[in-house]
Amino acid sequence: MDYKRIKEIMSAAAKDAGIDEYEIYCSQNENMSAETLKRELSGFSSGMSGGVSFRCIVNGHMGYASGSLIEESELCALVRRAAENAAAIENDDEVFIFKGSESYSESFPSLGDTGVDPAKIKACALDLQNRVYETDPSVTEGTQSAAVYITSEVYLYNSYGLELSNRVGMTGCYTYPVVNKNGEAQSHFEFALGLEGKEVEELPALAVKRTMEKLGAVEIESGKYNVIIDGRQMSSILSAFSPVFSAKQALLGLSLLADKEGEIVAAPCVTVTDDPMREEAPLKAPFDGEGVATYKKTVIENGVLKTLLYDLTNAKKAGKTTTGNGQRSGYAGQVTISPYNFSICAGDNSTEDLFAMAKDGIYVTEVKGLHAGADPVTGDFSIESAGFRIRDGKRCEAVKSFTIAGNFYDLLKNIDSLSDTVKWQIPDDFCVFGSPDVFLRDISVAGK
Amino acid sequence: MITQFISEKVLSAAMSTGADFAEIYAEKTRNNSVLFLDGKIDSVTDNVLSGVGIRAFLGTRTVYATTTDFSEDGLIKCALSVAQAIGEHRAERKIHLTERIFPNIHPVKILPGSALMKTRTDLLKEACFAAKEFDEKIRQVTGRLMSVDHTILLANTEGLYTTDRHVRTRMAVSAVASDGGENQSGFEGPGRGMGLEMFDEIKPADIGRRAASEAMVNLRAEYCPAGQMTVAIENGFGGVIFHEACGHSLEATAVGTGTSQMAGKLGQRIANEKVTAVDDGTVPGAWGSVNIDDEGNPTQKNILIENGILKNYMIDRLGSRRMNMPVTGNSRRESYLYEPTSRMTNTYIANGPDKNEDIISSIEYGLYARKMGGGSVNPLTGAFNFAVSEGYIVRNGKICEPVRGASLIGTGSQILMDIDMVGQNMATGQGMCGSSSGSVPTDVGQPLIRVSKITVGGR
Repeated sequence: MDYKRIKEIMSAAAKDAGIDEYEIYCSQNENMSAETLKRELSGFSSGMSGGVSFRCIVNGHMGYASGSLIEESELCALVRRAAENAAAIENDDEVFIFKGSESYSESFPSLGDTGVDPAKIKACALDLQNRVYETDPSVTEGTQSAAVYITSEVYLYNSYGLELSNRVGMTGCYTYPVVNKNGEAQSHFEFALGLEGKEVEELPALAVKRTMEKLGAVEIESGKYNVIIDGRQMSSILSAFSPVFSAKQALLGLSLLADKEGEIVAAPCVTVTDDPMREEAPLKAPFDGEGVATYKKTVIENGVLKTLLYDLTNAKKAGKTTTGNGQRSGYAGQVTISPYNFSICAGDNSTEDLFAMAKDGIYVTEVKGLHAGADPVTGDFSIESAGFRIRDGKRCEAVKSFTIAGNFYDLLKNIDSLSDTVKWQIPDDFCVFGSPDVFLRDISVAGK
Repeated sequence: MITQFISEKVLSAAMSTGADFAEIYAEKTRNNSVLFLDGKIDSVTDNVLSGVGIRAFLGTRTVYATTTDFSEDGLIKCALSVAQAIGEHRAERKIHLTERIFPNIHPVKILPGSALMKTRTDLLKEACFAAKEFDEKIRQVTGRLMSVDHTILLANTEGLYTTDRHVRTRMAVSAVASDGGENQSGFEGPGRGMGLEMFDEIKPADIGRRAASEAMVNLRAEYCPAGQMTVAIENGFGGVIFHEACGHSLEATAVGTGTSQMAGKLGQRIANEKVTAVDDGTVPGAWGSVNIDDEGNPTQKNILIENGILKNYMIDRLGSRRMNMPVTGNSRRESYLYEPTSRMTNTYIANGPDKNEDIISSIEYGLYARKMGGGSVNPLTGAFNFAVSEGYIVRNGKICEPVRGASLIGTGSQILMDIDMVGQNMATGQGMCGSSSGSVPTDVGQPLIRVSKITVGGR
């Protein structure tokens, strides 16, 4: 995208329309992926997507308009539409076009700048698929593997002359083995970052092992159990409930963490941080969707809520300073408070230690349907799960479909212990969640 | 968007290395939504998405590429990238397209783009203030009026060249009731494949009141007990049970790749004989309806299960090649950014033989799920889950106290057999269904049904 041209056309159109405070936000993504089925390449896709958004303050209200075409007439139409849209807004919260932070973390161009050879993506997917098939004779039709490459570029320019850009990219691969043994079919999803290296090398064996382990799963009696939730599953639960950390939700009365800054909201072993520039994260964000410099912050420290997450408008409303969490999801997204690399910090136990502490219980290694089974407004959850029985402090037989139910606010307070390794979700955008394995006592489980 | 002449050149370029089929999908979609929050109009979203996806087939192998460059050069470049990825031999193929016009069975009376902003904000406020005024304990109301005006162009090497326009409108209200330190929520979100005339049929104030009423019921509800129970599931969005427990397993995406528990079962009994299930993309003005699917095939009414016997799957072009069966008008995608695949449209369990009052009175102890939330499924194992958003305990054939926080889990093959009573008040509910080709609008539906035994996830 020719940002200079877009900036010139839209700035001139804004001037003509008498708009003083405005911001241009562009995003552009490139993607490539290769998919396999049986032992062949079944699909390959590639493309560019993105667009331009214009927002402006008219009579104290912020109007937005966006589109994916960048012809001059389309860009000028965005300026006009944003101003018209501002006129419909009644919310009187103070809105801002940001003048700029003192300094910004350096944005290192990642592999996005050089691009990746399509042949390499195809080879990785095919090699992965072949190795999955070779791992065990019970791997069968339906097994799929893929390799992907994405880049994401954002550009921000505003009427105060603030001009920022960030370009990041990543590669990754995943596999979904289907095994069939004695008439029972099972599947499992596993991913790794990169197209080569130790993690990718070990991916087929790990994925097949995890699929095979699910075979012969038994039902479990309903009741209260000690439960250890695998870190990746806990990350998904944290993600489903992340709106409770938004200051906007709190100010609207939609989060029970409202007015709790400085108070105990979790067990003493719980510390939660948000780190936009996390070293190992492939997608780093040096500034947020309003142009504010991002930084690492402790949200919960040893059980005490230190801060909620703020953007400029809600910080002003609450008499605080923005935490640089006013994100925009793509060019068409409006500023919304959300975290970056948000995680419960590691504890000091091994997973085996947690099994020993639980003695008798369940190890939850799969959770599903969080979009339906978890309600961030009430904190209630009832989630389809699968995992393993723990007996005498050891992991035993697989257990199938049961639910774990409770309330997120209670869960935070009832965390007994944590494992020593944070497991992260797939980083498919800037907002990613992580958690160590979490040990909880007396969780309601519904089975047979 | 793209002329017939340029489409022919682009398709020729896509076929230039030996592909056996190629297709152009172009779209221009205007998304408008108005958000009501905290008693006021909070924001307006206004986006125009435009782009092109070019796909080529060689047997069951596909290559897909996208671009936002509508110029002839940009399109040819995109087509050549597809050609380069799919084949290695030089091939020449002259393409001749014939324009086709499909009948418009979903005419729109009031285009959302032509309505004044005030008309839209007034409709939304009517719904939200009705929710707010329902009870003094309703603390927060969020409402959104969304409209999508979607124009597509399809051209393919079988000679098809056509365009279609599809408009849809939805109003979604969520209400939060608060009583001291506790919040409870309620949601109502009807949508139609229509313009603003949908509000001639559905009064905005009723939408708001229904959301508020659910939040208030949940505020006085105790936690739902856990364990296996007999469950009666009400009509409308209750149909999500069929969508998750069975519908996804009947899509070619799963069946054609060997990842469906329903593969190879045509003609077999897979459900109780009282169950007849249908996917029908032709219902006029329905949320999941379209004139043509995203490969240019007219939608149709497909009987999936008839009196318990599996009759058909939902099949797109790739699935058709994999399964050696005809397409069924079910190919869908969120936008040009996704390669299309087989998806549901309006899917429902048809009315059955049982009287609704007999269903409730037959339950000695169980759960009456009046409203359902969303869910998900693993089509391979059939393991599914979905949330109960408004539920009541049934005791001695009578609906008693409300319960909250419940979900239902099970496996598709089992629950289809366990649906042992099917009532007579079929109605639909609207949802957004997520899968590999993105998020698409789908209707779910059923009359009141009884499931003899299912695991209720509670406390």
